[in-house]
Formats: sequence, structure tokens, C-alpha cells
Amino acid sequence: MDFLSQVLGYFTSGFLWDGAVLAVEITACSIVLGFILGLGVALLRMSRLTAVRAGAWFYIWLMRGTPQLLQLVFIFDALPAIGLKFDSFTTAVIAFSLSEAAFAAEIIRGGILSVNPQQGIAASSLGMGPATTLRRIVLPQALRSILPALAGNAIGMLKMTSVASVIFVSELTFRSQQIVGQTFEFFTVFTGAAMIYLVLTSVISAIQAYLEHALDPERSRGGVKGYGFLDKILPKRSVATPAKVGKSAAPAVSAADRSELVRKLLADSVKPSSTDEEPLIVCRRLWKSYGDRDVLKGIGLEVNRGEVVAVLGPSGSGKSTLLRMINHLETLDEGEITIGGRYVGYAKKDGKLVPTSGRAQARAEVGVSMVFQNFNLFANLTALENIMEAPIRVHGVPRDEAEKMARQLLATVGLSGHADHLPHHLSGGQQQRVAIARALAVKPRVMLFDEPTSALDPELVGEVLSVMRSLADAGMTMIVVTHEMNFAREVADRVVFFDEGEIVEQGRPEDVLDSPTKERTRRFLNRLGGEAEASEG
Amino acid sequence: MPSAIPTFLGILTAGTLLAGAAFAAPACEPAKVAEKYPAIAGKTVVFGYDPSIPPYAIIDDKDKTKVSGSDIDLAKAVFDCLGVKYELKPGAWPGLFPAVVSGQIDAMFYLYYTPKRAEQGDFITFMKAGSGAIVQKGNPKNIKAEADLCGKTVSAGLGTVEERQMKTLGEKCVASGKETIQVMTSTDAPSGFRLIATGRADAMVIDLPLINMMVKRNPDVYSVGYSVISDYQIGGAVKNGNPLGPAIADAIQALQASGKVKEIFATYGIDPAVEIPATLKTE
Repeated sequence: MDFLSQVLGYFTSGFLWDGAVLAVEITACSIVLGFILGLGVALLRMSRLTAVRAGAWFYIWLMRGTPQLLQLVFIFDALPAIGLKFDSFTTAVIAFSLSEAAFAAEIIRGGILSVNPQQGIAASSLGMGPATTLRRIVLPQALRSILPALAGNAIGMLKMTSVASVIFVSELTFRSQQIVGQTFEFFTVFTGAAMIYLVLTSVISAIQAYLEHALDPERSRGGVKGYGFLDKILPKRSVATPAKVGKSAAPAVSAADRSELVRKLLADSVKPSSTDEEPLIVCRRLWKSYGDRDVLKGIGLEVNRGEVVAVLGPSGSGKSTLLRMINHLETLDEGEITIGGRYVGYAKKDGKLVPTSGRAQARAEVGVSMVFQNFNLFANLTALENIMEAPIRVHGVPRDEAEKMARQLLATVGLSGHADHLPHHLSGGQQQRVAIARALAVKPRVMLFDEPTSALDPELVGEVLSVMRSLADAGMTMIVVTHEMNFAREVADRVVFFDEGEIVEQGRPEDVLDSPTKERTRRFLNRLGGEAEASEG
Repeated sequence: MPSAIPTFLGILTAGTLLAGAAFAAPACEPAKVAEKYPAIAGKTVVFGYDPSIPPYAIIDDKDKTKVSGSDIDLAKAVFDCLGVKYELKPGAWPGLFPAVVSGQIDAMFYLYYTPKRAEQGDFITFMKAGSGAIVQKGNPKNIKAEADLCGKTVSAGLGTVEERQMKTLGEKCVASGKETIQVMTSTDAPSGFRLIATGRADAMVIDLPLINMMVKRNPDVYSVGYSVISDYQIGGAVKNGNPLGPAIADAIQALQASGKVKEIFATYGIDPAVEIPATLKTE
């Protein structure tokens, strides 16, 4: 047992542990700095400006493509020539951080790309700026998926600190080599050192497990399997008031009650104002093209306060583009759009509209909200948190007030029992109702609906339409792109028929739908009718 | 090595002359440092060393924060002799000379002098290099001279003179119709020795005192293949133009005169015959 006692002796050697502590210090500093830097590089790498992207690419190419050892020696021994003289520890932290930044940047970029970009568009439509969206929505989701890779980097770096011995960092491996130089008993020394490394890397793995657990949105929100052990030892994440209400217990809200609730909630936004006679939304001569293709060809549209406009038309006719231009998710090529007399994220320059920065803020100020075909709920937040997010982050509403309003809105859309559920635990219809509640939470003056029921199973369409109907009853100004003829007929004040980037025909629903004057409208309506019959038969 | 002989004689002649000249000044006067070496007085000299290379620098068996070895003992003696404060800074061998050149450390010992290296640093040579090949016990590959290395796998330390020697020797092997040398570069001496013990390399060419010590400690594992006292000179190195250079030269001359250098060599099993009078070489 001489061998074992020797190994144990080295494993407990203070001399080696001093080196291990040094390795840990360098790794901890460099991983943190490297992550922060890497996040910056990742964002630059996704910049719209080619030069910035190229710069970030070059940095990653250089730092990933050159050996760590050379980077260390370069910083330690070449930079003093230009007056930059760092000590060994500082050099190691700088070199490992810079290198880690390059590796982390690509990992972080991958994580960001893995988050459904539609969530970012939804956040933007709610008035959340890019930084807020990144911090609150994108990073929490991205981080969770990139944690294993980052932990791998940390482990790799801990072991890699051994190359820093060339710049006089007397870390664990170098110290074990020194002992070997003295005793020439390499096997026992290296076994002891390896055991120390294993202890340290195990700690990193444990930190990884803890962070993964902490970042798991499922935790304490409906019980997730697979973390039984950690659940026992870790504190629960607090959720406001965990509602233990089953689906069936959701209180049924009658249509009339609902309209009343909406009216109350939106008292400010729906209230008539002095500019009531002016149309709320004015679109003039809108042109938009993607490459050679003209998507919108000189559209003019006015929508009055409290009016519900249904936009119909074949796929690709430019309906959704129009909607996305009204709240400036798409930038117009020519023409102008005002909401309540204001441009949304444009300034007039030499008679032309030029996009300005702070588009999200402009949306919030003008009061325009949007509901998307694919709901685009924030996957890392519960139904309640989805609704509270924009009021708190954009409008500075105090948390308890925002929560109170969010709960009222959830009740309004009939989902009180699902406050603490994550989006992917909800049905499509439920998700869309949460999305509507979320859009209402910023107290908009205008609601834009982009085919809100197209992604739903037929039996779920009704619940969403009924919520929309109560909004209309409450006096909300709405533009609804839809294929639901019955909804258009019963709820809309006006139907606008779109084809090939033009408004072909518009008027009262019964006129346009029952006795269209234009051939194109007729053909479209016939086709839709035929499809409906076919699907029924 | 017939070409080495004239050079060898030249060094002996120069050494004799210098030894004569050294009579005038060799004395340790630490109290007079401000007067004799104003440029270095009051400064803390940073001395770099690799503590994994016996017998030049080794950590203490008991207290591993302590270090000894011929380089360390000599450095202490030199700086005490000059009367300057010093700090001993451990680092891996390949990083030492670059750190001297960049000014991250002030001095190191036991670097082979070459004119090319002297372009980057000033040298204070004080001993000749003994070099040789360490092989497995019983010398199974029958390596008895440098020429026997052709076609063999040979280990050499990273950045050492031997490493470059092996590369040129490999070319000579090819020129004379033999197979070239497979050089396995090792980052530290013990890892090179392990290559021999495990049979991954046939020989390691390295500094002779190190070989002698290794064979003495592990007679069941290693043998000496061949050994030569080469025409290489070994010494301390400082950055070009560093006023520490002449000061170290003076101090070593004084320590040579007092017999201290021989004493240190003897302590660590280095043949006293390799000692040559300390000389400052700036190019």
C-alpha cells in the first residue's frame, strides 16, 4: 500500500493544492470575463453592419486559430515592447479570457439562434427594446441550451492553465513536474495531481447542474422529472401565488361580462378623445417591394376609432405585410403611415420617411399591439409573466399592479387557472388567448391581428374568435387579417379585399361578401366556399 | 569533432588572459553597491529558473516552497556578492529566455551561448557544456557516439541547443547516406527520461551532469551512451545592454577566485573541469 499512501500524500499536498487554487482563480476570472466579452462578440457577429460582422469574425478566426501557448507568450513577452507589461497572473487571465471570448461567442451565437426569433418580434411589437428582449427573453432561453458547452469550456480551460507555466504561473501541472524533477517518481505524483483535477472538474460539473436547474423554467411550475435529487437540496424558485386550479375549474365568463371587463381594463385607450373625428390610422400610397417583387402597390387605407376592419385575400397578397408595416415591423419603401397623427419610428426628411432608432418605444407610445398567427409567446415565462412583462419593462408599471392587471386579463380570456403554466403546456387556443391578453396589457389603442386562428385546430378557433368579438364589442380599434368569413361578416364594420398588393374592393361585410362587384373578389370567395364545402364533406 | 579543437584552444587562451585580468578586481563588496553599480543599486533583481531541472534547480523534498540546485546557489551567491536584493521566480524552461528578452525577468542561468541568442541578450559565460546521450540500461541500441544516432529516435528538450543539434545532425545522416534522426521534443527533462525508460525513444541528448545524476540514481533503468565536453559555453543571460550583465560577470569572477563556484559545482556533482573564467559576451 506504499503506492496508495504516496498518491494520497500528493493528493493532499499543500504545495499541489496551492497550484490548483491558482488554476481555479485563473479559470474563474477568465470564464466570467470571457463570457461577457463573448456575448459582446456574438452580438457584433450578428450585427447588421458588414464591417462590424467582419471584425467580429476576424477576432474569432484569430483567437480560435492560434495556440493558447503562443497567445500567452505573445502577451507576456511581446507587449512589453510597446509598454504593456503585465504580471504572470494578469497575463494568464487576459489571454484565457480573450481566447474564451472567441469560443464562447460562437456558442452564445448558436444559443441565440436556437431561440425562435418570432419571440423577439413579438417582444418588439410590445414595445420592448432589443436590449430588454435580449436580457429577458432570448438570453435566459439561450443560456440554458449553451450551459453544457460553456461548462465544457471551463473544464478545458482549467486543465489548459498548465501551459501558463511558460509565463511563470506555477500552477498544478507545473508543480507536479517540479516534484517529478526532484523525485523522478512521476506515476504517483501525476496520479495525485489527476485526482485533484478530477475534484475540481467535478465541482464545475456540479455548478453546471445547479445552473441548468436554476435556469429551467419548468422548475416549481408543474413539476418536472429528472431533477429529483436537486429538487430536494435546492430552494424552490418563488412564484407569486401558485394557482392550483385545474383546467375545468376555470370560471366561465359570459361574452357580455367579458366585454364589460375589457371595457373597464381599457378605459383609457378606448375612451373617445378630442381627435375622434380624425381617422385613427391613416395609410397613404404605401409601396413595399422585396427585391423585384412589389408586395404593396400604393395602398391607401383609413381606419376610424373603434372600427373593426377585416382584411381578406389570397395568401401572398400583401395583407400581413400591410399589418406589419402599420406597427413598423417592416419598413415602408414609399408613402406614409400615421397612428393618431404620429409616425411610428419614422422621421420626415426631405419629404420622405426615414426610419429612426427606438422603434419599439415608438410603438409603445403610439399604442399599437399585435397578435400573431403562431402566438409567439415567450417560452421561458409563464402565462402570467408573459402578460406582465411589457407593462413592467416598457411602461414601468409596479410589479403588483402589473400582476393584478395580468390576472384580470387572464380572467377576461377565461384562463385564470393557467396563470402559472408555461406556454408549451397550453393548447394552441389557450396560447392565442394568452397572446391576446398580453397584447392588451400594454393598453393599446389599436390591435392588429395577423391570421390569429390560422394555426389552430378547428375546434379551438371558436374560443379565440369569441375573445376577439368581445374586444370589438368593447370598442377596440382592430385590423384583422383572417380567413374566417363568419367572423368578418358578424364582427367587422368593414371588409377590405386584397389581391396582389392592391385593395381590390372594400365596404360593408354584407356588400363585399355577398355581392362582390369585382371578378377577383368573386373568384376568391368562390374558392374559399368550395374549400369549406370540401372540408365539410 | 576535429573542428572543435581550435575553438577549444582559443577559449583556453582567452580564459587564461581573462583570469589574469580578473586579478585586479575580483572581490565581493556588497556594501559598495551604490558606488560600484549605481544602475542596479536598490533594485530587486528577478531571477527566473525552471525548478524541474536537476541538478540546477530542484524543489526541496520536505519543504516544497524551498528550492536549491547549482543555478540557485550560484545566483544567491552572485546577488549577495553584489549587494542587491533578488526574487527567485519559477517558470517553465521554454519561457525563460523570452522573458529575459522582454524584460519580464532580469536574469537566468545555464543558457548555452550562441551568437544568434547573443543578438537578443547579453551572456556571462562561466562554464563549458558537457553533453551526452542517456540510453536504456545496457545500451541496447549500441549508441556510443553522435554518429550512432542516425536512424534512431532521439529525444531533446524543447528549445535546447541539443534539439537544434539533432536536426542538423539528421541532415548530416541523410547526406552520408544514412537514415535521418526522429527527434521527439520534450517540454521538460523528466518527461524525456521517461521516453527512454519506456523505450519510446532510443536516446535522449541532454546536459551531461543531468545524465550522470540520473544514471547514478536509477542504475537499473539508464546507462550513459556517450559523453562529450563540447565547445559550447554556458552562462547567465540578461537583456541586451542591461547593466546587470557586467555586474554579474564581476561577481562570478570574484566567486571563481574565492573557490565558491567550484564548491557549488562539487555539491551538485558537476565536474569542476568545465569551469571557465567568467566573460561578458554582448554579441
